[in-house]
Amino acid sequence: MTTIRIPTPLRPYTGGNSAVAVSGATVGEALADLTRLHPQLRPHLYDGEELRSFVNVYLNKEDVRGLQGAQTAVAAADTLMIIPSIAGG
Amino acid sequence: MLKLTKELHNEIKVHGAASYPHEGCGLLLGHSDGESNVVVAARPLPNVWPVANEKPERFRIDPADWRDVELEAMDEGLDVVGIFHSHPDHPPVASPRDVAWAAFAGYSYLITQVVAGTPGLSRSWQLLPDRSGFVEEPIEEE
Repeated sequence: MTTIRIPTPLRPYTGGNSAVAVSGATVGEALADLTRLHPQLRPHLYDGEELRSFVNVYLNKEDVRGLQGAQTAVAAADTLMIIPSIAGG
Repeated sequence: MLKLTKELHNEIKVHGAASYPHEGCGLLLGHSDGESNVVVAARPLPNVWPVANEKPERFRIDPADWRDVELEAMDEGLDVVGIFHSHPDHPPVASPRDVAWAAFAGYSYLITQVVAGTPGLSRSWQLLPDRSGFVEEPIEEE
């Protein structure tokens, strides 16, 4: 199963776990399985059907937007990281 | 509540002063117990806002830098618990832009005022769960 690392403030929604093992053949399927397992995560990660604009997903240190996005294939040994963008002023 | 040592707070203030007149920024590492974010290390990061002459009132952290800090923190048994940035010649109050471009609720958003290159007051903020604004949280200097 693919591992997804959970940002610190979202861990209350994963039972305190910093990583969650998920099923799925693609990044999109893996994220869908994550929010199926932990539905309270969904509003923090998604705005409607789309990932929130500040949410980045890295597959083994590579931004999936530079790969095939949600269609990027994942394997059991892979780790996905959810990393926020932040700006301000 | 945000907890940090006086030495760490000073380190963050020094980074704000060194970044002046631009905004300085970085990540706070430590542990979160749900009630408090306890900071044990600060990682200053480049302000990568793309327009140089707007950096006195804008900051951006490269997500790739955040990713690297997250991996380092994991190796050290730490978590990213907050973000710090400076407000050159402006009060340390979260701005509408800070709200619009915030990350997740639950992080501490520490802002330090820098006046004419000298660091001043810091205030820390928590994003409301509905992302509609920030509320101030106490800072406990240990």
